[in-house]
Amino acid sequence: MMKIIVCTKQVPATNEVKMDPVTNTIIREGVEAICNPFDTYAVEEALRIKEKQGAHITAISMGIPTVAPMLKEVVALGVDEAVLLTDRKFAGADTLATAYTLAKGIGKIGDFDLVICGKQATDGDTAQVGPSLAETLSIPHLTDVGEIKELNSKTIVCRRMTDDGYDELEMDLPCLITVTKEINTPRLPSILGIKKAQKYKVHKFNANICEENDIHIGLSGSPTQVVKTFIPTSAVECQFLKIKALADKLRELSNIEEEGN
Amino acid sequence: MPNIIRKMEDQYAEYLKDESRSVGEAASISFPKTQAEVLETMRNCLAKGENITVQGSRTGLAASAVPHGGHILNLSRLNHILGLRYDAPRDNFFVTVEPGVLLSQLRKAVADKSFDIKLWNDKSVQTLEKFRAAEWFFTPDPTETSASIGGMVSCNASGARTFLFGPTRNYIEALRVILPNGEVLNIRRGRHFAKERKFKLKTENNEISGDLPSYIMPEVKSAAGYFVHDNMDLIDLFIGAEGTLGVITQIEVRLIRLPKAIWGITAFFPNEPSALEYVKALRNENKKYPWLHRPAAIEFFNCRALDLLRSQKANNPAFAQIQELKPQYHTAVYTELHGHSVQAEEMPVLIGGLGDLINFVGGDEADTWVANNQRDLEKLQFFRHAMPESANMLIDQRRKLDPTLTKLGTDMSVPDRYLNTVMEMYNRDLAEADLENVIFGHIGNNHLHVNILPRNKTDYLKGKELYLKWAQTNVANGGSVAAEHGIGKLKTNMLEVMYGASGINEMRRLKSLFDPNGLINCGNMFAPAKEVK
Repeated sequence: MMKIIVCTKQVPATNEVKMDPVTNTIIREGVEAICNPFDTYAVEEALRIKEKQGAHITAISMGIPTVAPMLKEVVALGVDEAVLLTDRKFAGADTLATAYTLAKGIGKIGDFDLVICGKQATDGDTAQVGPSLAETLSIPHLTDVGEIKELNSKTIVCRRMTDDGYDELEMDLPCLITVTKEINTPRLPSILGIKKAQKYKVHKFNANICEENDIHIGLSGSPTQVVKTFIPTSAVECQFLKIKALADKLRELSNIEEEGN
Repeated sequence: MPNIIRKMEDQYAEYLKDESRSVGEAASISFPKTQAEVLETMRNCLAKGENITVQGSRTGLAASAVPHGGHILNLSRLNHILGLRYDAPRDNFFVTVEPGVLLSQLRKAVADKSFDIKLWNDKSVQTLEKFRAAEWFFTPDPTETSASIGGMVSCNASGARTFLFGPTRNYIEALRVILPNGEVLNIRRGRHFAKERKFKLKTENNEISGDLPSYIMPEVKSAAGYFVHDNMDLIDLFIGAEGTLGVITQIEVRLIRLPKAIWGITAFFPNEPSALEYVKALRNENKKYPWLHRPAAIEFFNCRALDLLRSQKANNPAFAQIQELKPQYHTAVYTELHGHSVQAEEMPVLIGGLGDLINFVGGDEADTWVANNQRDLEKLQFFRHAMPESANMLIDQRRKLDPTLTKLGTDMSVPDRYLNTVMEMYNRDLAEADLENVIFGHIGNNHLHVNILPRNKTDYLKGKELYLKWAQTNVANGGSVAAEHGIGKLKTNMLEVMYGASGINEMRRLKSLFDPNGLINCGNMFAPAKEVK
């Protein structure tokens, strides 16, 4: 049976993000923590594969112990197993150290055919962990997948939207894909699922999955230096033009373009 | 002419209609921004003997806001939230609003605890601190959240949560009404009562007194005709009066504490009898389920309603976000559980019991959608709102071919014991008449919206006939012809089915005590006296 791993991350609910004007960081106090919205599409896609052709799905996340209930919610949706990588030594990880730690966790879980990630997390918005994880695992990957066209025990055919049109690409398994919200409509849990999740105990892996004094995890494994964070201000100005002024403006712009060419 | 009165021109054409899609006519329109402007405009029209039709946000389904000549007094810009008050013994907050405030606007202000306090007095501003220390909510929840509070009061609006909390009426504490004689009446709950069916109300310089209608209201959810009973609180006379007794310019609404947990569950059943059995179990009719506390809402979608949503999801990108409806999903029931006394952690236990119940009545707890946070609840609410929207869109398509066609949407309720009878009647009659239809709505109160979707004029006429027949049967069984949308100008014949010619005459007499010249919102609930003569 196909083995699928889905990566999930807990993020602050972001429909109304408030920034601290002094520190320029997201105010997390009093903000509900949720499963990264893009990851819910990853979970749903894994569940659809399971329903269609059978699969065993393991969800994995790295975070503090209170992330466990989020993983239980994923189990309520129909995921078979859930693993939480949690240890003080993992703290302070950037995307490189996170990908490394996830790869270690996946190594402990065992064989897999397909890893599915959301295209990015809504808090950091880097879109780096998916590709970085694939490189660490030494497997091929494809980002921004909007549709899985074919999937068998050997290969996967994916479709993704690009600026120039659609790509349709085939990859050998095992591999990793990151998915966009066009791929499906995530489901809500059923009562049956919630009952199962209540009894389920999330597996917790600590830093023992790594070598002793492994320098690739946590803060020591994170070369990223955040020099400055700031709230961007919009520089776009809107002008209202009468028809004639608009025509002049368009003429002026088209001249500039022609000259540029 | 005060400078806010405008001659009717093409740019105001929108204001000749409402969500019922019927179109009226008018000579002039105004958009007062202050209560003083309302008074001035009204006095001006009344002095000239001109009819006035009052509008909120025109989301009504019975054409109450559609003008039949005269002046349109549009209150959509009279939309300030004016203050806040706390009542410690009752543990309620009270918000004073103007009638043009939208339900969505009030909800957002209450949820964000953020108000424009420019017009507030010091006491209101001081109350804000206490308000911000907890979570509060305004329970009435008509599906259309762009409804105005004034409109909601005037038709005594309801929504899904009316099943637990009751209609808008229960959350209205005080009103300011400009009477048709140009005087202002301030009325607060608990102060002015009728003596049996006689009433007396002191206004600024006068007194209005007389007899209330003598009919007995049915013991079901109802928004049909004047609300009257022996020794009633007279504020209730103005709630659900469809604007016929005066113009409401200020409203004090009551807020209660927000439940600690709100869970929504849509359950799908393989057939309709199982779904009806589930509804009765949820109402705990035989007290068989001591663990189950009363749900806040019980909503229904029949098989044709689900089929319409399936085709909308497939064909219309606006509905693509609806979750997949599996082929075995025949009938659906949405229920909402509020946890006030139970801890949020106990909700899963409650849900577990609900799952057992679903299995017991012939459903499957795997065929359910559970929402346990605001984002997911909104998905289930979107699904519910998509229902009438889909029916309306279908009819709008057909109206392009035949503009005389309209949807025939019923709004009737019956007592609990008639639930099965009424469903059988609807299904049988619709099948026999071969009419396309969907049935959905507030089944907790046996209040279903049968939407007949006519394909042609013959269908439309057959549908109208059925509608009248159902009204007669449901009234004979102790039901109401209009449970929440009101009578407006479209269902006046239905009100007569309910209260007879004598009831209508008594209502007409009551209106003439307030409005002897028949100038305010005439044609709502019953035809104006002058047309009858």
